[in-house]
Amino acid sequence: MENQSCVKILNEWDIVSARQLGRNVAKELGFGTVDQARITTAISELARNIFLYAGQGQICIEKMYKNGKVGLRIISLDKGPGINDLRQVMEDGYSTSGGLGAGLPGVKRLMDEFMIDSNPGDGTDIQATKWLR
Amino acid sequence: MNININVNDNETLTEISVSGEIDVYTAPKLRETLLPLSEKEQVDMIVDLSGVSYMDSTGLGVFVGLFKNVRAHEGKFKIIGLSSRLQRLFEITGLADIIDISSKVEGDVK
Amino acid sequence: MDFRNMMESKYREILVNYLKDGSEQALYQSQKFSRNSMEDSIPPEEIVSMHKSLMIELFPDFTPEMQESFDILLEVMVGYGFAYREHQNLKHIQQELRTEMEIAANVQQTLLGTKVPSVEGLDIGAISVPAKHMNGDYFHFVKDENGSVSIAIADVIGKGLPAALCMSMIKYSMDSLPENRKSPTLVLENLNRVVEQNVDLTMFITMLYGIYNIENHMFTYASAGHEPGLYYNASEKEFTELTAKGLLLGIEKTTKYRQYEKEVSPGDMIILMSDGVTESRTEEGFIERETLLSLIEKNIHLEAQAIVHNVYKELEKLQDFHLQDDFTLIILKREV
Repeated sequence: MENQSCVKILNEWDIVSARQLGRNVAKELGFGTVDQARITTAISELARNIFLYAGQGQICIEKMYKNGKVGLRIISLDKGPGINDLRQVMEDGYSTSGGLGAGLPGVKRLMDEFMIDSNPGDGTDIQATKWLR
Repeated sequence: MNININVNDNETLTEISVSGEIDVYTAPKLRETLLPLSEKEQVDMIVDLSGVSYMDSTGLGVFVGLFKNVRAHEGKFKIIGLSSRLQRLFEITGLADIIDISSKVEGDVK
Repeated sequence: MDFRNMMESKYREILVNYLKDGSEQALYQSQKFSRNSMEDSIPPEEIVSMHKSLMIELFPDFTPEMQESFDILLEVMVGYGFAYREHQNLKHIQQELRTEMEIAANVQQTLLGTKVPSVEGLDIGAISVPAKHMNGDYFHFVKDENGSVSIAIADVIGKGLPAALCMSMIKYSMDSLPENRKSPTLVLENLNRVVEQNVDLTMFITMLYGIYNIENHMFTYASAGHEPGLYYNASEKEFTELTAKGLLLGIEKTTKYRQYEKEVSPGDMIILMSDGVTESRTEEGFIERETLLSLIEKNIHLEAQAIVHNVYKELEKLQDFHLQDDFTLIILKREV
């Protein structure tokens, strides 16, 4: 069985597919309903960012097994314009879409681990992991 | 606390009329709307302030900026419709001596 | 996990009680519960999830549809929880900023600090209160060897942090031109050059600079667009405006300033202020100049410091303790 599956994000409906994929994996790994909802919300945010700012990219869901722990990792990859000031986008209250609570700091809080890598002109790579407790 | 800015910008003349209150909160809007207009070469600008009920120093700053810009682009700048209170503000600050102001406008009460 | 179990048993108790007797008491308990959960930063989706599992436990015939309906509520609440956590964090950041501003305000006070000098024959009072944390008004006294006092009062456009930063520049420039301190016009002309080169297009500063000669009691001054001062003639019991024409600092490179003189007799007063005094606004409109004059008159028998203090207190009250602008008032009173 493969540990990673991906969904291409080209339009808004792909957000639903990415959520579905994330929910299935989360359920399978044994995450409760609250964590399922958090994981899918994080997926929505990341997928929405791809669709709004990068145009296209993909969301991958990976099952994680480390030191006896089980987890789920969301990987968001795009080849969009990238982010100039990472510090700024990781700041609360900064959101170009102006949405309440939207944005990467929120995703970071919903998950246990968060990593972002972005170079202007080179796209953005985000990995967010949640561990089963 | 609201402000209304009306711009009538044509080839030869840029007419602006402002009404409401110009303070720290509304001045940025005024600045954003008017400063770009003052960057045209040899612009001829008339600003009517007869509808302005209050203006603080931040508001005055916007007009100072406009005046400096217009002067740098060799244009003409004139302010009309100053209430007696605003007239005093322009006189105290010495701006009345360098900016063309005219308090005589129709219906200037008080 | 202990904590979670505690929360859950508390919630169960409230729920069971309410379902039994529908009492207001139980509802009040749930209000208290929500306060406690917020204190412990429990996000809303946790509560929904708890509610769902309790309902399933308490009502074995709870239909699958009813159970699933909570999934929608849970999903919606995750969104609210998302915003709630951001709000919590922003509140924290705001607190940090507030602390930082308070520290900055202290730094500013130290940086711009000036002592009201004690001069024989002259009673001086001064007060300066910022509308927000940082003060865009500035005043400074210097007493020279022969006892004369020079006074600077300035106001930067706007208020708060930007104004305060700009004011620090003025203070620094003033400190670096001691040799012309004796000529108000030279001081203003020098400062004007500094300001003109260093400020944004829409920024300007007003300043009144004066020297009180303690030997002949002559007040020599010049103004750069500053709010006019007042002169109180004690023998006539009359206020007049201290006329002074002069352009704001920072408008033109080569502005020239004019010097004015006023002879001060025993009991007379020189009153200097920022526009925060004349621009005081109440619900009904501006505070009239007469109001200010009558406030000064009411306190005229007091020492200069008491006059400025009392006038400020009264104007503050008239404005419902909500200052519109930085407020500075200085009084020089020639002793009788």
